[in-house]
Parts: sequence; structure tokens; C-alpha cells
Amino acid sequence: MADYIVELLNVTKIFPGVKALDNVSFNLKAGEILALLGENGAGKSTLMKVLSGVYTKDSGLIKVFGEIVEGLTPKKAQDLGIAIIHQELNMCSHLSVAENIFLGREIVRNGILAQKEMNAEAKKILDSLSLDIDPETIVGTLPVSKQQMVEIAKALSTNAKILIMDEPTSALTAKEIEELFKIIRKLRDEGRGIVYISHRLEELRYIVDRVTILRDGQFIKTMDFKDTDMREIISLMVGRDIKEKYPRIECGVRKKIFEVKNLNAGRMVRNINLELYEGEIVGIAGLMGAGRTETSRAIFGADPKDSGEIWLHGRKVTINSPADAIREGIVVVPEDRKKYGLCTKLSIKNNISLPNLNRLIMFLGYINKKQENIMSQTAVDNLKIKLTSADANADSLSGGNQQKVVVGKWLANNSKIIIFDEPTRGIDVAAKVEIYNIMNQLKRQGIGVLFISSELPEILGISDRIIVMCDGRITGEMLASEATQDKILELATKFETKLA
Amino acid sequence: MESKRKNVLHQVLSIRGMGQVVTVSAGLLVLCVIFGALNPNFYSGRNIANLLRQIAPFIIVGIGQSYVLITGNIDLSIGSVLGMSCMISATLMTKGVNPWAASLITMIACIMVGFINGGLVSGFKLPPFIATLGTMTVARGIAQLVNNNMNTDAIGESANGFRNFFYYGKTLSLYNTVWVALALWLVFNFILSQTKVGRHIYAIGSNIEAAKLSGVNTAVTTTIAYIVSAFCAGVTGLITCATGGLGTMDAGTSYELYAVAASVIGGVSTLGGQGILLGTIVGACVWGVMQNGLQFVGAPVALRNIVIGIIVIVSVLADVIVRSGKGKKSITRFLGVSLKIK
Ligand SMILES: Nc1ncnc2c1ncn2[C@@H]1O[C@H](COP(=O)(O)OP(=O)(O)OP(=O)(O)O)[C@@H](O)[C@H]1O
Ligand SMILES: [Mg+2]
Repeated sequence: MADYIVELLNVTKIFPGVKALDNVSFNLKAGEILALLGENGAGKSTLMKVLSGVYTKDSGLIKVFGEIVEGLTPKKAQDLGIAIIHQELNMCSHLSVAENIFLGREIVRNGILAQKEMNAEAKKILDSLSLDIDPETIVGTLPVSKQQMVEIAKALSTNAKILIMDEPTSALTAKEIEELFKIIRKLRDEGRGIVYISHRLEELRYIVDRVTILRDGQFIKTMDFKDTDMREIISLMVGRDIKEKYPRIECGVRKKIFEVKNLNAGRMVRNINLELYEGEIVGIAGLMGAGRTETSRAIFGADPKDSGEIWLHGRKVTINSPADAIREGIVVVPEDRKKYGLCTKLSIKNNISLPNLNRLIMFLGYINKKQENIMSQTAVDNLKIKLTSADANADSLSGGNQQKVVVGKWLANNSKIIIFDEPTRGIDVAAKVEIYNIMNQLKRQGIGVLFISSELPEILGISDRIIVMCDGRITGEMLASEATQDKILELATKFETKLA
Repeated sequence: MESKRKNVLHQVLSIRGMGQVVTVSAGLLVLCVIFGALNPNFYSGRNIANLLRQIAPFIIVGIGQSYVLITGNIDLSIGSVLGMSCMISATLMTKGVNPWAASLITMIACIMVGFINGGLVSGFKLPPFIATLGTMTVARGIAQLVNNNMNTDAIGESANGFRNFFYYGKTLSLYNTVWVALALWLVFNFILSQTKVGRHIYAIGSNIEAAKLSGVNTAVTTTIAYIVSAFCAGVTGLITCATGGLGTMDAGTSYELYAVAASVIGGVSTLGGQGILLGTIVGACVWGVMQNGLQFVGAPVALRNIVIGIIVIVSVLADVIVRSGKGKKSITRFLGVSLKIK
């Protein structure tokens, strides 16, 4: 067919030990939004990185606008009209918004940077995204969701004909997502081709025309979105049927195990009171920036507290550092796994054993390597972590599998309270269910689970009780059986409407 | 009128990195007042002129090191390249080569070291600390080799023009050395703040991956930074040669660290991505004033070293505390987490 603007034919990409792409073929038309779907590690990002010149293919053919291209580099891809928003934020945090948007294609007049001109251009692009950001703001000072929007603005500013978005919404608020979808649809109507990668399958119906599914580095199927349904998509992605997206278990609420009293820590944690009973999962809902992460960090001792008490099994505990918290068995699975959850340059095995070294140490501080292997193997098996070797660097794993490693290191620690901060961000459906099952299993064992999430369906589907936060405060609490999306949203925006 | 003035002030202060420059400038003033009070001759025209001439080399090597630090790397070879430059130029001149031709040949040699540094770090991905530690040793070896492991003889009468240009001469009542430093500063400040290369230098230091994915040629840009650093060290070597009128093999020892000090006192981050060359000038002044001032009030060398070392730590610490607004936090953490500050 002539109207394909991108054709990838039998592309293979091999990393040491992994065939990330195995003879994959892929195409994209002008004026369509194509969802590229697959489990964690299926090869979606790799395929798009090959197309945008970040990785070089080992074999296969790349055609852009009908022409065969060889020796792609990021720069060359840019010149061909391909823009990509990478899965991980890629901003120069010390530079301004405008400087980031124009990085690599600065406007230069007589050898001098045309700063005013670039600021004005950037302003226009930001306005078109309804983004009220001063182009001279330093990117590092913006909240993550705004940084993500700047990243999107940067891609749009290239006026690309082919736009690749690798999980653009995982860090955005509901309002920003809505805004983004409007723009994506507009871009499609202008005749651009858009590749959209996401693990939030509920989003697809708002924008997607066609889906292409990969599994284990292989092409599985491509089909029009209107001719299929979620069930089929999921089973093609996973290779089997998933019975329940939100498996819930009931095990009867028993005694109180954990309590936070009048916790204060800076502006984003104000007078937090919460209780956790044996046999329940407590969800903490709220918008991005509601202070949920800050609360978990204060409980964990990662940030200093101004005041407040923490009680565990009826005993007041003193937590001034993460080491104190870990000793008491209170742990956090943090939201930004690359930054806070993993030592990416250490092996998977070493990451899992890091907080558990006390149990592995023999005489003279010698680490029992055999026990360490067993510990890591247990975690890998329990969580079905997909890896080539436990000795590989943690950053060689796909996003979802990295997240499992973080969970794994705490499970090996016999923790009593586990705070999950956005544990399913960027994780595929099947792995999500696995994480829910893990939480359920913990709940059954009597381990307290606090579950922070911005995705309302999973909060509603998995928690027994829901606490809503807004602007550093708790604005409401309800049983999951009584909760609705609207109720939660109202509480989550309680102070926002007043500000606006 | 008032509001307009405020506006200009606001604009100046909003320039990135200006905060630290203003704080350090204030510190510099305080230092000058203290030294002046301890010995009024500190303010004499002669001492000021000498002081500025002493500061100039720190500014020049500071510029080079700042370039490299902003890319998130470090250049330990500066002092040795300085020594190499001093020895090569002096040796050539004693052999009768025209001083300007000798300078040109010397600079080419220095730039080659910068090129090699850049290649090792950005091409072969060696850790910058190791790569430049290696070239530091090699360059010092070359400095010793060129005149058979001896300092050179005096470079003689024919080099008087050269010595005037770099050291003895005055233009508009300032020593030429100061003018050389200012000229280099103007050029390199322009490149860093107003051109694409400069922007890319900041981008690499801030997030090299993001820069690469945006199409920035990170290898070339990093190499340029190292070449600038070697170039600056080379010029300083010529100044040293002009100063003494001969080549000394150990010229420039420790200068790479003085250059780091000038940069970080002025607000350049050793982690990359941050700092401006105006800060480097102020930092170099602090460094020079401390050296000169302590000598002037008769402090023994040992005390001078201790005081200057503390100054470096304090100025960077002050910056960290001010910038993060976490002063209280990091201090509590340092003193022991359980300590409560009310
Ligand atoms: N730089 C790399 N080095 C080695 N292996 C890699 C690298 N990048 C990806 N891989 C491997 O290639 C496979 C495909 O990874 P890829 O990131 O493309 O998955 P994905 O479909 O984008 O997953 P996710 O949904 O988690 O983002 C994985 O097995 C991963 O471990
Ligand atoms: Mg991916």
C-alpha cells in the first residue's frame, strides 16, 4: 500500500542475551493514531527507538515516506520528520523550558542564539497546549506532570509528520490527559501519523484507530480498533485470557496494626491521621502533587517530620531515617523506581538483597552468596520477574520488571507495613494483576498495605477503604463499597477549585 | 525611574547563577575590607595593580576548568599543560626561535592535549578523572623531557616583546596580563552564554542522555570544552614563561585545583549544568585576594593554606545550603538525625 508513511520490515534487534525484536514488521499510515501494545519487555520501546535512530537495527528494512533509510541517528530521524517522546523523562533540568524545547535545533542569528525568538516560539507552542508555563522557567523546578507536558511540547514543536509517544500519560493529571487527547486528535486530523504506547488500556477508546500488538519481541497482530474489544486485545498481549482485571479478596478486618497520628512534614504533609487494620488494603487517592508521596516519605523517615507519632502493633515507634523504618518493618515501594527504588548500576540480585544484607551476613561481615542467590531466586519466582540473569544490571530490565524487583526486595525483608506508591505505573495488564495479587497475598498474611494510586479504577477495584488527599491534607475517607469515581474526584479537588 | 531601576536589578538578578555571584562578591568585599584594616598598604595602587596581575592566571585557568565542569566532567591536566606550555615555549626561545612562532607551536601542542582528553572522555568513555589524571602525568613528563630534565636558561633579550605582552607591559595603567585575561573572558563568556556550542555544553552537563536524544553531538561538544581548557592552560603557561623569563619544569603544579576552586567558589557546579563565567572571575578574585592578602598581613604559608582550603569548603557549603533551602535539614542530618532543632 502506498499510503504508509512508515514501514518496518522484518526488523531484528538483539541485546546481549535478549532478542528484543524478532523479525518484527510494523506500519503506520498518515492521519491515524496507532496504539502499539504489549506486555512489559515486549519490545515496544525498542522498536520505536530503532525507528527514531536511538538504536541501530541488526537486520531488516526501514522505510519512511516510501524511501528506504539506512544509518538512522536521532538527528537524522528528526530531519525526516520523526519526533519521539521517550518513556523516561528526558529533560535537561538545569535549562529553561524554551531551551529544552529547542535543544539540538536552536535558532541562531549571526552565530548568536536568538533567545527572545525562541522564548516567543516556545510560548506559542505552550499556549497551543493550554499550558500556562513561562518559557523561561527552569525545567527542574516544575512538577513531573508539567515536565512531561514540556516534553510533549518539545516533540510537537518539531512539526513532525510522525509522532511517537511512549507512555506519555503515565505522569499526567486527568485534566492534562484530556488536553493531550484533544491535541492528538487534532494532529491526526492534520494528517500526521501517531504511534501511541500505553498500559492504560481504558484510554484507548478515546483516541485510537488501530492497534498493533507485540509479544516477546514478536509481531502478533494488527487490527482496527473498532473490530476488536479489550478482551481480545488483552489475551493477544498476554497470550492467555485474564479472567479478572481487579481481583479482590475478602478476609475480614481484624485488629488495628498501624496508626499515624497528627503527622506534619512541610507544606505537603499537614496533620495526617490514618489507621490500618489487619486484613485490609487502604487506598490513598488524589491528584498528582496531592502530598501522598511526601506523606509516605515522611512515614518512612526519608524526609524529616515536623511533628507526629507512628504506632505499630500498639507500640509507639521512632523513625528518623529509612534505616529505622526498615528495622521496624515499615517500607515504601517508591513511585520513581529509577530514582528512588533501584540502584540501576547494581545487579538485580544485589538490588534485592540490599535492604536484607543483615540476614545474609556471616562472620566478619562476609555476605553469604549462596543465601543471596536463593533470596533473589525466590523473589524472581514469586513475582515472575522476566530476566536473562539475576546478575544483569537492574537497568537492563523493562520498566515493569524493574518495578517487580523493587517489590521483591521488600518482600524478602519480612516487612509488616508496605506502602506502595503508584506501583502499577507503566506496568502491563498482566503484571498489574500480579501486583494486585501480591497485595492481596500480603493482606491475607496480615501485612498492612497502603496503596497510593492516581488511577481511580484500580483504587476502587483493589482497596477496602479509601482515603482521599488534596493539597497535603486528608479530605475524606470512605469504604470502597460506598465509593464512586465522582465522590473521590470531588474530594481530590476540594482545595483546587478554591484556588482557581 | 525608581521602578525602572528595580526592573534592571531584577533582570540582572534573574540571570541564572547570579545569586551565587552576588553573595560571593559581597564576601570578596568583606575580605578586602578586612585585609585593608589589617594593613592599609593593601589598598595602595601598587598592590592593587600587582594583585590584579596575580589574579589573572587564576581567571584564565578557571575559565577552562569551568567549561569542563559545566559539561559534568573535570580536567586534572591543566597544571601539567601549563608546565608543558612554559617549558616548550621557553626551550624554543632559548634555541633562537622567534617568540611568537614559539608561542604558536606551544599552543598547538597544548590544544592537542585537550583534544586527546576530549577523545578519551567522550569517545572512549573513560572516566574523566582517570583520563585526565593520565594526561596530567604525561604532560608533566613532556615538560621535563623537552629540555632534558632541566629548567631552561633565560629566554633572553629577543623575547622582551613577548615578556612585555604577557607580563611587564601596561596598557591604560593595567598590566597586560590582566587585559589578556579579560579578553579571553569576553570571548569565552560570549561563546558559553550566547552560542549554540555554549548551550550544548550546559545541556550535556545537565542530562547527557537528553542532549544526545535531542540530536546534540555530545562527543564534539565535550571535546570542545576540553580544548578550551587546554587552550587556557597553554596561555597561562606562556604568561608563566614571560613572568620568570625562563622555563621551569614544575610550573603550574596544583593549578588544576586552583582552577576548580575559582570555578566552584564562583558557583560552577562540579556536577555539571550550572554556573556562569562571571562567577569564575569573582571566584578567582577571592582566591587571589586570599593569597595576596594573607601574605600581605604576614601570615605563614601553612596558615594560608589552611584558611584558603576552608574558604573553598565554606563557599560551596553556603551555596548548597542556600540553594536547596535544606540548610536546617542537612545540618541536622549531619549532626545526627535524632537531634531536634526547634
Ligand atoms: N539497552 C538495553 N540493553 C539490554 N537489554 C535491553 C535494553 N533495552 C531493552 N532491553 C531488553 O529488550 C526487551 C524489550 O524491552 P522494551 O523496553 O522494548 O520493552 P517494552 O515493550 O517497551 O516494555 P515496557 O512496557 O515495560 O516499557 C526487554 O527484554 C529488555 O530487557
Ligand atoms: Mg517501554
